[in-house]
Amino acid sequence: MSLVEVVDVVKEFKSGEETIRPLDGVHLTIEEGDFVSLMGASGSGKSTLLNLVAGIDEVNSGHIFVGDVDTTQLTRGKLADWRAAHVGYVFQTHNLIPVLTAYENVELPLLLLSMSAAERAKRVEVAMAAVDLTNRAGHYPRQMSGGQEQRVGIARAIVTNPTIVVADEPTGSLDDDTTEQILTLLQRVNRELGMTLLMVTHDADAAQRATRELRLERGHLVENGKPILPRALRTA
Amino acid sequence: MLTFLPYTLKSLWRHRTRSMLTISGAAVALLVFCFVGSVQRGLFALTENQEAGRSLIVFQENRFCPQSSKLPQDYAQTIAKQPGVADAMPIMVFTNNCRASLDAIVFQGMSTDLLKKWRKIELQSGAWETFARQDDAALVGSAVAARRKLKAGDKFTIGDITVMVAGVFSADNAADEGLIYTHLDFLQRARGLSDVGMVTQIEVHLNDGTNADAVAQAIDAEFHSGPVATTTRTKGMFQADTLSDLAELIGFIHYLGYACVGLVLSLVATTTVMSVQDRIKEHAVLQTLGFRPQRIFGLVVTESVLLSLLGGGLGIVAGMLFLAWSGMSVAAEGVTIAFRPSWQIALQGAVASLGVGVIAGLAPGWQAAHAKIVSALRHA
Repeated sequence: MSLVEVVDVVKEFKSGEETIRPLDGVHLTIEEGDFVSLMGASGSGKSTLLNLVAGIDEVNSGHIFVGDVDTTQLTRGKLADWRAAHVGYVFQTHNLIPVLTAYENVELPLLLLSMSAAERAKRVEVAMAAVDLTNRAGHYPRQMSGGQEQRVGIARAIVTNPTIVVADEPTGSLDDDTTEQILTLLQRVNRELGMTLLMVTHDADAAQRATRELRLERGHLVENGKPILPRALRTA
Repeated sequence: MLTFLPYTLKSLWRHRTRSMLTISGAAVALLVFCFVGSVQRGLFALTENQEAGRSLIVFQENRFCPQSSKLPQDYAQTIAKQPGVADAMPIMVFTNNCRASLDAIVFQGMSTDLLKKWRKIELQSGAWETFARQDDAALVGSAVAARRKLKAGDKFTIGDITVMVAGVFSADNAADEGLIYTHLDFLQRARGLSDVGMVTQIEVHLNDGTNADAVAQAIDAEFHSGPVATTTRTKGMFQADTLSDLAELIGFIHYLGYACVGLVLSLVATTTVMSVQDRIKEHAVLQTLGFRPQRIFGLVVTESVLLSLLGGGLGIVAGMLFLAWSGMSVAAEGVTIAFRPSWQIALQGAVASLGVGVIAGLAPGWQAAHAKIVSALRHA
């Protein structure tokens, strides 16, 4: 069974009198250990698809299975619990909590899971070491550079050992050198920690770091120039 | 929710000027709330305590100010013979101000034996022997002593009366701490010889099970055709009648207490709403990380409760200290209402602060918990 199965997902928005449908029956399968990049024109719906997979937005129709859970059927509360345990989210603008130190920001998602303080401390240290920021643990976001903030954001995303890490244009607000560092870090997260990644980007070079490159065109996903079909048709 | 207390405290500290202003506003409001509460409790204690219903005050008929009530002292002997009467205690009252005043001095002159027997007082300083052997000696209530900075051994003059402070006492009944006790004959002679043999009032103590109203009627009937007619009421009723104008005013100022609670609600709610609007995106990030909407709601309400409790607690402590140290009281026509701190007022204040904190956090908490995550993440 695939790790993520997006089945015939439709997402519509109202814009005045007009109805926009960025996702018009999208199908996608992500296997465990994949590093999937998702490109597309502005407004094509790539971030929308990522948010749906992450469980922070609702589909109009269709289903999203992560493992054996259909996340579209979960209530808001259950969905929050599911996100806490199964999703690591890396934002474009880092979105660290400004009043918390780097350590506390990374620890925050663990406070939602039942584990001992010692286990929590161990996990935070491992995550901080993975992003090479152990020496900045006591620093506040305002005391760090954009690249360091993003590394803390990645540590926060991986600290719960989630089923999938989603990254919404994680290098969108960074300079070239820092972008390189962050992409290398995401590759390490995928290769060395074995985590599954779904990354939205508008940067073709960044997309090439992934193991699979997808494009969202006119409401449908395309891989290697071919539309991704429903699983039934693929296997037929 | 305790797990996230450090985050909540840091969030409050993030906008410390705003938080401090809200806390100080809530503190001032709760200080006033406690003050209003203590005024009301003072009046209640005066008119509703057990002793107020078990003793009578005999006053000259149709007289209200102690300066104008004059009863023959020997009425006490006649009253003492009435069935159900345990003791009749002639008292001379002198006050420097018959009208309502925050600094009225009320002297009560009575026999030392009866004073010891019927007033539940304890000397904090000085000695009974000094009081007993010196004609112009006075025992000063702790509230008056605090207000006028008096101590044992001091001389104290008010109007025509000069006394030597033989001791400072505390009393079971806080209102008594606003009084100065002297010898009866000293107070009778203090303003010339015209008052010798006359007293202001007679306090009648009843045996258990005696019908107070029946004894009061019997006393008034006894003196109806005598040289001075009397009006006899229970002590509670006497004090309520004497303070009726003031009581109306005090009854009205409890609305001030409600206004204080309303003020805290408005302050805390405004601050919490501002705090939530400043952090729409942050709350969306927390939800993305897996915080349930209920938890976000709880965080906001906790923040609001902390603000309210911190401000309220500060105001309550300040109010209690102020009431304890100031020894404030208001007197009218010789009757004193003491403003004293009490744990009941502190508890009322704490409950009000807690309730206000919860209510103030409901709407912003709901707003934060029910924001659409994706839209909120786009918020600047």
